[in-house]
Amino acid sequence: MAAIEPVLRSGASLSRPRRWRLVRHAPLSDKLALGMLALITLLALLGPTLAPHDPLAAVGPPSHPPSWQYPLGTDEVGRDMFSRVLCGLQSTWLAALAVIVGGVLIGGAIGLVAGATGGWVDTVLMRITDVFLALPASILAIAVVAAIGPSLFHTLLAVSILWWPYYARLVRAEIRSLAARPHIEAARLAGVGWGGRLWRHLLPGAVPTAVVAASLDVANLVVLLAGLSFLGLGAQPPAPELGSMTATGLSSLLTSWWIPVMPAIAIFLLSLIANTAGDSIRDLMDRS
Amino acid sequence: MSAPIEVLGSGAAATTATERPVVDAADLDVWLTRDHLESHVLRGVDLQIAPGEIVGLVGESGSGKTVLGMSLLRLLPEGARPRVEGRIEVDGIDMLAAPEEALRELRRHRLGAVFQDPMTSLDPTMRIGGQLREVAESDGDAIELLGAVGVPEPKRRLRAFPHELSGGLRQRVMIAMAIAGEPRLIVADEPTTALDVTVQAQILDLLSKLCRDLGCSLLLVTHDLAVAAQIAQRVVVLYGGRIAEVAPTAALLEHPRHPYSAALLRSRLDVEMDVTRPLPTLHGEPPDPRDLPVGCPFAPRCEFARPDCEAALPSLDPGPGPGRFDACIRSEEIDLRPKRVELEPWVAPLVDPQAEDALVAAAVQVDAGSSSFWRRGSTVKILNGVDLRIAAGECVALVGESGCGKTTLVKAVAGLVETSGGALDVGDKSPQMVFQDAGSSLTPWLTSRELVEERLRSCGVPRAQRAERVEAVFAQVGLPAWAVDARPAQLSGGQRQRVAIARAIVAPPKLLLCDEPTSALDVSVAAGVLNLIGRLRRELGMAILFVTHDIAVARLIADRVAVMYLGRIVESGPATTVIADPVHPYTKALISSLPGSGGRIKLKGSPPSLFDPPSGCAFHPRCSHAREECATRPPRIVAVGDSRHEVDCVLAEEQG
Ligand code: SF4
Ligand code: SF4
Repeated sequence: MAAIEPVLRSGASLSRPRRWRLVRHAPLSDKLALGMLALITLLALLGPTLAPHDPLAAVGPPSHPPSWQYPLGTDEVGRDMFSRVLCGLQSTWLAALAVIVGGVLIGGAIGLVAGATGGWVDTVLMRITDVFLALPASILAIAVVAAIGPSLFHTLLAVSILWWPYYARLVRAEIRSLAARPHIEAARLAGVGWGGRLWRHLLPGAVPTAVVAASLDVANLVVLLAGLSFLGLGAQPPAPELGSMTATGLSSLLTSWWIPVMPAIAIFLLSLIANTAGDSIRDLMDRS
Repeated sequence: MSAPIEVLGSGAAATTATERPVVDAADLDVWLTRDHLESHVLRGVDLQIAPGEIVGLVGESGSGKTVLGMSLLRLLPEGARPRVEGRIEVDGIDMLAAPEEALRELRRHRLGAVFQDPMTSLDPTMRIGGQLREVAESDGDAIELLGAVGVPEPKRRLRAFPHELSGGLRQRVMIAMAIAGEPRLIVADEPTTALDVTVQAQILDLLSKLCRDLGCSLLLVTHDLAVAAQIAQRVVVLYGGRIAEVAPTAALLEHPRHPYSAALLRSRLDVEMDVTRPLPTLHGEPPDPRDLPVGCPFAPRCEFARPDCEAALPSLDPGPGPGRFDACIRSEEIDLRPKRVELEPWVAPLVDPQAEDALVAAAVQVDAGSSSFWRRGSTVKILNGVDLRIAAGECVALVGESGCGKTTLVKAVAGLVETSGGALDVGDKSPQMVFQDAGSSLTPWLTSRELVEERLRSCGVPRAQRAERVEAVFAQVGLPAWAVDARPAQLSGGQRQRVAIARAIVAPPKLLLCDEPTSALDVSVAAGVLNLIGRLRRELGMAILFVTHDIAVARLIADRVAVMYLGRIVESGPATTVIADPVHPYTKALISSLPGSGGRIKLKGSPPSLFDPPSGCAFHPRCSHAREECATRPPRIVAVGDSRHEVDCVLAEEQG
């Protein structure tokens, strides 16, 4: 049939996608930031295995300054600071990640349902979210932990409860704007059910926003968790945790500076890396 | 065959060699950067515009036409880090060297700009009067300006906000601002594209009249050759960042010298063309400005291409006749006079009036409530008693201007909009739909395969057969095999629309709904999609409800046409009858607004607001046949002649 021929020929002449070129050609600084992020996560995971000494046992002379044997010195009772910082890295870093993941999951689910359903469900869920958002997070966390007793687990629980509303709002806003696009109507006409539309046609669109927000948030959390430990509301001494190590070591600042300063530097590096990596992730997502 | 386009612009100031041109751009190169990729958007463009001359700049998306217009104003988007080489002189001022202050002064007093969407260039928070006063000296001047551009009751409009005006009026306000400084040059970028056909003609007339009266030049940037041809004295055809052809309008229409101009002319739709066979199309897509061929940019699509066409950029050389230039190395040897390419005729579609109807709509009502918790009440009737029947296998075009309710009707049929009265029967198989903006109707992160397979899954096709069905349907809609695993962003506009069509027909529905599927596409690509829909309908025996604002498209694709105005179908009947011999005054006006249809009936005003529908016949404030009773009593729908030709007008009541 001659009628088909011109139509068939009018297929494509455009060159193939160049999406990956963008990622591969990402600036060196972005690759570096992401590399550092991977490295620090690896360090955190392997911390206890890499530690040369038991972080809880006195292994050397007390308050020994940094030396070849004890690279970061020892604390007031002679525990190896290097091993303690490595293990502290693990609890702080993994705790921050756990809270973020929890917040994204809870907040994301609530935002998704609210944004996709609309109507009164949306209103109710968002009013609840607003109530949580209105509470000052750190003060509430302090109150909760003070009420149920200080421990790292309780702190994580308290912070998780407070961290999701932000993601709920973010995801809901994204979902609402996606839900207004014709592709949702098109999916409905194609016979995709409510769950399928939510899962396949709405949720993936909100993922980049949530990931970017979360990656920029990790640094805040590291600082908040360290701060809470610093106030004595997180992991209890002698457990190695960067915030509480800084706090308890503060009294020796003038005599043995390395005891509070080494964990403080670790906190600083951790939040710096998290922040730059968050920026890089945002840039990469923007570009692709 | 002579071209059926009227040239309205009465050859005002023709180019005289002694006068210095208002615009003199030479050897202009522009690079823009998007997503870290630099593209060479204009490649050595020369353009001169004489004082008082109207030049049409025609090109498809990505041709660089908008960039050229903006370069003349030195208004290229800073975000795209423009790099400009060459020379641009406007009114004797070197636009590339002049300091920003001088440019601002020049733009304020000597240049005017009119854009496609006036809403983006007018300040939404400021009254019209306030915005006009920035360019006019006094209120008196502002009123005079509004009067000059044909805004009724100019005094009252000064207090209006932009959103309170209709699209046509907003465009007039933009034009008023553009002429306030008594400009030497106006750049109008797609000034009529967003407007309804009946309003389009008014704006074009206004622009050409103002240029004559003020003696200023106009660069009319448009994708539509027919629009340019209506008022331009000279047309510049741009393709892939190069000028393909420059010629006086009449000469170009009669005898294009560049194969691309000829193809544009051929793919133009008009009301005289042969509807019994497919449209001649241009294969392929316009070049990607990030990846332009080294040789003639048209070579991949050109039927006359020779190997040496791809070797180097053809230069723009003078052709025979005054003011003619073309950039085709073979323009001397090939004859491109518009001729009908004889494609094999369509087979007759299988319309089966005996079988169960694909759609029966009876007295359908759709209300949009603006009532909220504390403010109850005012509902708007978007559809006000619509009756429509589509027989099995039949194609009905729903024609009307924006806001007439045509899209709402389609969505109601699709079940995407709740009806508040009447009955809709689409049989047992749910209809499928193709949307206007294919890009946003495809889920951006899913591949074409996933989108189409999803449809198969919901139709209960076993997993094992799906891959095969997907590949078959992609071949059927003319998509290359790699498109199966591409995401929408990797496809061009025409390909996206084909993916959307593939999803709709992979399990053939009884009724396919098409909501302006080609209006967002380039002319040369749209023809291919129309052919595709025409062919699929015959192959699959589907009925189609095709929404369009373009009568020529309706005539081409449909067996029957239904014309809507303000939520009612005012006339429906066989396409050829309705278009050749319309009865309702509104249909007459719509059809007369097409280029080439002879005398144009100019409608007063613009379509009324749904919030404040006129009493009696909704059309009476604009109808030139209106009588007293029209304002008080709604007309009855009566049949005229035979074969289901129905009209909603008192004139027809008397005839029928
Ligand atoms: S130069 Fe060659 S490819 Fe280009 S338009 Fe002319 S014939 Fe076609
Ligand atoms: S009913 Fe009257 S106003 Fe309406 S279209 Fe007919 S003549 Fe015009």
